[in-house]
Amino acid sequence: MATIVAEGTGQAILEEHHPQTFLRKYMFSTDHKIIAIQFLIYTLFFLMIGGFLAIMMRYQIAWPDQTLPGGGILPESMVASGYMLPEFYNSLVTMHGSIMVFLAIMPMLVGVYANYLIPLQIGADDMAFPRLNMMSFWLMVPAGLLTLASFFVVGGAASSGWTLYAPLSARPDLSGVELGQIYWLLALVLIGLSSILGSVNYITTVINMRAPGMTWFRMPLTVWALFITAILGLLAMPVLSAAGIMLLFDQTIGTTFFLPEGGGQPLLWQHLFWFFGHPEVYILILPAMGFTSEIIAAGSRKPVFGYHAMVWAIISIAFLGFVVWGHHMFQSGMNPMLGLSFTISTLLIAVPSAIKTFNWMGTMWRGNLHFHTAMLFAVGFVAMFAIGGLSGIFMASTPVDIYIHDTYFIVAHIHYVLFGGSLFALFGAIYYWFPKMFGRMMNEKLGKVHFWLTLIFFNLVFFPMHGVGMAGMMRRIYDSSGYAHLQGIQDTNALITFAALGLYASGFLFAFNFFWSMKKGKKAEANPWNATTLEWQTPSPPMHGNWAETPVVYHGPHEFSHPDVEDKDWLAQNERPDVVSPAGGGH
Amino acid sequence: MSDHAGEHKAPNYMLIWLYLFILTVAEVGVAFLPIPKAIIVWSLLIMAFWKALLVAMYYMHMKWEPTRLRLVALAPLPAVAIMIIVIMMEYV
Amino acid sequence: MAHAAAATAGRAHERGLDVYTQKVGMWIFLCSEVMFFAGLIGSYIVLRFGASDAWGEPGEVLNVPVTAVNTFILICSSVTMVKAFAAAQEGDQKSIKIYTLATAALGALFLGVQGYEYTELILHSEWQGSHGFTPQAGLYGATFFTMTGFHGFHVFLGVVFLSWASIRAFRGHWGPNNYQGLEVLGLYWHFVDLVWIILFTIVYLI
Repeated sequence: MATIVAEGTGQAILEEHHPQTFLRKYMFSTDHKIIAIQFLIYTLFFLMIGGFLAIMMRYQIAWPDQTLPGGGILPESMVASGYMLPEFYNSLVTMHGSIMVFLAIMPMLVGVYANYLIPLQIGADDMAFPRLNMMSFWLMVPAGLLTLASFFVVGGAASSGWTLYAPLSARPDLSGVELGQIYWLLALVLIGLSSILGSVNYITTVINMRAPGMTWFRMPLTVWALFITAILGLLAMPVLSAAGIMLLFDQTIGTTFFLPEGGGQPLLWQHLFWFFGHPEVYILILPAMGFTSEIIAAGSRKPVFGYHAMVWAIISIAFLGFVVWGHHMFQSGMNPMLGLSFTISTLLIAVPSAIKTFNWMGTMWRGNLHFHTAMLFAVGFVAMFAIGGLSGIFMASTPVDIYIHDTYFIVAHIHYVLFGGSLFALFGAIYYWFPKMFGRMMNEKLGKVHFWLTLIFFNLVFFPMHGVGMAGMMRRIYDSSGYAHLQGIQDTNALITFAALGLYASGFLFAFNFFWSMKKGKKAEANPWNATTLEWQTPSPPMHGNWAETPVVYHGPHEFSHPDVEDKDWLAQNERPDVVSPAGGGH
Repeated sequence: MSDHAGEHKAPNYMLIWLYLFILTVAEVGVAFLPIPKAIIVWSLLIMAFWKALLVAMYYMHMKWEPTRLRLVALAPLPAVAIMIIVIMMEYV
Repeated sequence: MAHAAAATAGRAHERGLDVYTQKVGMWIFLCSEVMFFAGLIGSYIVLRFGASDAWGEPGEVLNVPVTAVNTFILICSSVTMVKAFAAAQEGDQKSIKIYTLATAALGALFLGVQGYEYTELILHSEWQGSHGFTPQAGLYGATFFTMTGFHGFHVFLGVVFLSWASIRAFRGHWGPNNYQGLEVLGLYWHFVDLVWIILFTIVYLI
């Protein structure tokens, strides 16, 4: 512990006299800020890999009769005489989804921002269990290596879809993939363990380590969202681990948990997977909603509209998240009675989601809007999330879902909420918190170009997919040119692929901006956005231990344009009421 | 901060142990009684639940913990119930 | 005040769960463990309902008397664990040493008996006309070895931590001002015992 304490006064005196080696400081650090940055680099790398897999898929879909450019450098098991093999395409589909969900978006939302923001925003000096925190990053490293290695083992990477439906995933002779599947399941168990350890840490920290005055309803919405997300992860991940281990046994030692020929039940896998899988969907969106709320409030110079409603919406989305998983299984042959109840519970989620969407608009309404890059991405998130949410209503009702199940309509929906939703908010969060993390600003001009390119290309890629799906194009299909009813949409497919290339390219603009700004960006002040939450009230980047002295909280989290404050349009959470406003306009 | 060690007398841990021992013997006995299977199953489940409760309440000190901590400990149970009940719907 | 200080390194903080941080962390971790075992046990229930003829009567292949003794061993280890914690609170150094060591030894004994049980089942038993009750012996064998195996793995981890706690006990580490580690380890150990109580009933007796 670097802090020495004057008992009873809560005054911490910082002491930084530990000589630390490079390895200790940047590799095996227990400082939550360093771990968050490690996660950030890790996830950006996998975001790039996952995107590249998608580009290869798109090429195959658009031009199935042409050779893959540069395919010659890939082994014969992936690309034979210039043409992509269907087996390899299946691996691409599977690993694109798996990598994006488990190694890019989820650790970026939770690993990066829960780590970075929770202690800073609640006024703690670090996580509750710093060494456990370090472990949760280092468990992700072998998971990532296993995933990458699985492409190059005999049989190639896992190819049974990211949902790993049995029996395809359980019997090597059906998918033709044995080692790749085992590698991915092992990686999944490691990811699960890492995520559980992380969740234990986040929950404990939020519950027990809030600064004096940081009551539950003074916590920033980001902390609320990350806290609830951690609870979802804590309760959902272990079920996936248990199911994954059983699947691993089916694969390796010849048990028959999910194989009908041995009395097992493929449907059980689907139930267990989606019992995890649907809370996972909210793990992927709730933090994004938290970031958005915060960025929009700061960008509109207004308090979040309906703060309490926002909190309760997060909580009810999380609760409903545990009772809706069956809507992924309307076509699975489960008890039809369940269909109706899952339809109703799923449609109920529209209520808290709409509360959040309208509250974001309410926050912006008549605000003093500042459209910096982070704000643009946050507003983009609201718009894209609304589209994704609306298409979700189609799937939620069983009769419509029967028609669009397993088509590109689903692909469009998932990308509107996961890319247009989570990733837009993540880009916003990176632009917004970059100055705090690295002490420098990201380039605004490049950032705005990045935003507009991303927005345009994103919609060009995924909006037409709704139509492609309604036209009957199957999800995960290797070559659609052989189907008469799909002839008419081949041009649309080519357009989507061109746009996807543009989308991927604009990602490199972001990467350039990110790394360039880290070294050469404009120096950032402690509070470049004039924001109110605690992390902006300490230097950028914060020192080891975060605070010169433990902050004391007097105000709610988003007190912009407070009527009692005259000289500025924001009121930091730890500004003493008697100093700021003699009238005592505190809470 | 509640320092619970000072607030209650240490329970008689040996008595709880005796309790658990007797229940275990009873369980093994009931399992082989020549009575309908349903009665055996339900009485075994009740006894197992009883034993688990004893361990949680006395050995894990749930009996003396603040209510907020007890709520945390109970939090996963609704999720467990939902999971098992819904999956079991395949058999109704 | 002693353990409040240990909890937050003495920083002032808003009211949390009113117990020290390590204990909160352990309970939250146990919540995830509940979900893990719920996944395994839930699957067991569902699979058994779907193929009830794949299961044998209690005692038909599994050795109930040996396991009952093993259950008794684990219950005894729970008592010694809680006694070690009580001794630490009272500062009775001699009892701390005896009880932590006894708990570790009982845990190891449990694993030994389980090893014996597995060996007997795999090498010397008959099940549905074939030799040896193995994880490949239908759903019965698969669920049996998965559930008891993962429980055994938890016991193994517990024994590792208990050995570490015993070494610390012999160095005089635990005492009235420093019993949190033992209490948190105890929570884990009792939880493992609690899981066994459930498993023993549903796997061996039903």
